[in-house]
Amino acid sequence: MTSAAPHQRLRDDLLRPLLETSWRFYLLVGVLGVFVLAGLVAWATQMWFGFGISGIRWPVYWGFFVTNFVFWIGISHAGTLISAILRLVNAGWRRPVTRCAEVITAFSLVIGAMFPLIHLGRPWLAFWLAPYPSERLLWPNFRSPLVWDFFAINTYLTGSVLFLFLPMIPDFAAVRDRSSGLRRRVYRVLALGWRGTPKQWHRLEAAMSIMAVAIVPVAVSVHTIVSFDFSMAPVPMWQSTIFGPYFVAGAIFSGIAGLIIAMAALRKFLHLEDYLHPVHFQNLGKLMLVMALLWGYFVFNERLVTYYGNGPSEMAVFWRTQRESFAPLYWTMVTCNFVLPLVILGITRFRTITGCVIASFGVVVGMWLERFLIIVPSLGHKYLPYSYGTYRPQPVEIIITVATFAAMCLLYVLFAKFVPIISIWEMRAVQHPSPALIPPATAEHPLGETHA
Amino acid sequence: MAVDLDSCTGCGACVTACHAENNISTVGAEQAAIGRAKHWIRVERYWEGDFPDVRLKFRPVMCQQCDAAPCEPVCPTYASHHTEEGLNAQVYNRCIGTRYCANACPYNVRFFDFFNPSWDKPLHLQLNPDVSLREVGVMEKCTFCVQRIKSAKTQAQAEDRELKDGEIQPACVQSCPPKALVFGDLNDPESQVSRLSRSTRGSTLLEDIGTRPKVNYLARQTQL
Amino acid sequence: MKAIYGLYLHGQSAQRAVDRLRAEGFTDETITVISSEPREDCDFSHMHEPTWMWWIASGGGIVGFTIATALLLHGETSWPIVVGGLPIVAWWPNLIIMFELTMLGAILATVLALIVTALLADRKAMLYDAEVSDGKILVGIENPRDEIIETLRGALQTADDARVKTI
Repeated sequence: MTSAAPHQRLRDDLLRPLLETSWRFYLLVGVLGVFVLAGLVAWATQMWFGFGISGIRWPVYWGFFVTNFVFWIGISHAGTLISAILRLVNAGWRRPVTRCAEVITAFSLVIGAMFPLIHLGRPWLAFWLAPYPSERLLWPNFRSPLVWDFFAINTYLTGSVLFLFLPMIPDFAAVRDRSSGLRRRVYRVLALGWRGTPKQWHRLEAAMSIMAVAIVPVAVSVHTIVSFDFSMAPVPMWQSTIFGPYFVAGAIFSGIAGLIIAMAALRKFLHLEDYLHPVHFQNLGKLMLVMALLWGYFVFNERLVTYYGNGPSEMAVFWRTQRESFAPLYWTMVTCNFVLPLVILGITRFRTITGCVIASFGVVVGMWLERFLIIVPSLGHKYLPYSYGTYRPQPVEIIITVATFAAMCLLYVLFAKFVPIISIWEMRAVQHPSPALIPPATAEHPLGETHA
Repeated sequence: MAVDLDSCTGCGACVTACHAENNISTVGAEQAAIGRAKHWIRVERYWEGDFPDVRLKFRPVMCQQCDAAPCEPVCPTYASHHTEEGLNAQVYNRCIGTRYCANACPYNVRFFDFFNPSWDKPLHLQLNPDVSLREVGVMEKCTFCVQRIKSAKTQAQAEDRELKDGEIQPACVQSCPPKALVFGDLNDPESQVSRLSRSTRGSTLLEDIGTRPKVNYLARQTQL
Repeated sequence: MKAIYGLYLHGQSAQRAVDRLRAEGFTDETITVISSEPREDCDFSHMHEPTWMWWIASGGGIVGFTIATALLLHGETSWPIVVGGLPIVAWWPNLIIMFELTMLGAILATVLALIVTALLADRKAMLYDAEVSDGKILVGIENPRDEIIETLRGALQTADDARVKTI
């Protein structure tokens, strides 16, 4: 067998979703599109009638929207952070995983970054957050955590999109060579004149290394700054030094869960069984297990220190989540985030693809609840008992929340339609192993570190 | 400002006066019931003890005009900031409605405009021309009746004289029947409010958070 | 444009062609090699190894840091507004924005360096064959002098599976 045959099979397998379209694709896009449209209509309604149609009220001024903001920014840590770390440690099994992960980052960041706008009382003035010279010499308040968010999210979004785009250039060139007509013209532009000379390959690899080194601290800073939105305000259970690492760990945790779900869907619907092996899910499952333990550790710390500190206002929030009205949600969260992953992922026999997906759905639900439980009980129980209050989400908030999940799926489906979801050249590179390149994972060598 | 809790009867005249003076829109019974009412000053009621030995306590709470206000640094657009006079200013036109300031405020004295302003008839006929209306999506709060402070200062300047102690009266102070609320210049050690603030009965609300409020509460002595 | 090139199935045959071209006196700058994936296993892939990309990134970081510092100092002092008793130029929060813009500068500089030096700089070089994306490796010389074309044809025919083309 010549080396060209597997080469072409790989390319054909991975390009097939781009070149062939079934009616199911249109149906899926249509259904998801309706949900997204409903979300847009809901947002327009809210702007038209005023924020009063949402459920927020004095004194709980943040609700579902800020929960979704933190949740989606958290999900975005799947991609760039995981794939950058795997790239830096040169883990061979990363190759089919990285692009799936980086796409999640780019899209969930876009969705997450929408929420600070959706939740604004006057979203048409959101541009006041941007630092631009005005004739009144008035700049944004650089001491505000929301302005830090603006800078951090913009840096992370720019970095992630470029981190996703750079390794796609050679694949765009492959699509260009395989297609004709309009598609060829479009991909020719996207490929930026890529040919594949050693110089280009070296520059690309060097750029990817630099990006990987740069993006890891940026990703950590982004979710730390998101946690600062809370910990900078003197609100019971918010003003906590543990919030930075707690949020970063939670973000990676939920990000891995999102990645596992996305990979399982891709594997099933795009028939990528030859590329996404059970071992990939097992490896990610192990990573998720570690993050579940880390999450449990942070929650234990947060709770225990509050309990021993015994501040009256903190304890009011503490018991509200532990025993009183928010207790059902709280213990659901603990079950989803800790018990479920520990049982499913801790026992080798359950750590199958199905098992990993079940655990991931649990973690997604649990991490969404975690953000909700950080925001709402604290705001409802700030210091003066006279001003205690509660929150009840209204249809507009629920519709927009559902619509963002649909938007995520829609963007992902469209992306997989237009770009090879598994990096073709990175998969090919492993057919020519060198000391610097480590072969992919196999059933015998789960981490891909040995190669005869 | 100083608040003598001994004198406060919880009558609510300050709340009504504040609504009238500051063009605070009424939101209707239904919205008020779920927590959309905007009482820039409110009279908190606390019951102490077990029945039948219950004691009722009142505490009027308005913006405490903190020196180290948590609401100010969190605002991305400087809508909430400190003036040279030491007031917590809220610039309605600059507010984009992140509601972060209200979350950061430990006293919950900031209010969000959920709808464009409207009034139950005939309240719409008594709007104050000195106070701007707030459109949907901005935060509003007690200003210590900054319009009255400004006009009194302008008046004094026009008459080429110093401001007298007690000359400026915010609507709540003016309307308080038992004179429980006292307003004045804390920088003037001789003013009535300064003297009251130095009283051994004085304390500030939620002092341990470190917000350094400028409203001083004089503790109750009488046991009812 | 004129060019002569060979298409090779195996890295070793392509390597032999490169070696022969080098023996003919061609420098690495004049030899075109194109592959559809990085061939770290072959010697020819070590042509043009960049060492200065990290410097570009660091330079971009410094530019980003400088812009951040200037923006912060100007923005905070042009209309000094007191908030919450914090200093007008507050260094702790400023560090956050400086960090973000430093990283943004480094990232943008890296990508710009890649696009400008590796992609746009090669725009004029047209030697390419779509068979590369089938897994072939292309080794060739652009605009060779007419009298050496036959020599080159012999040099590029390194293996049975090699196909030499001229355009």
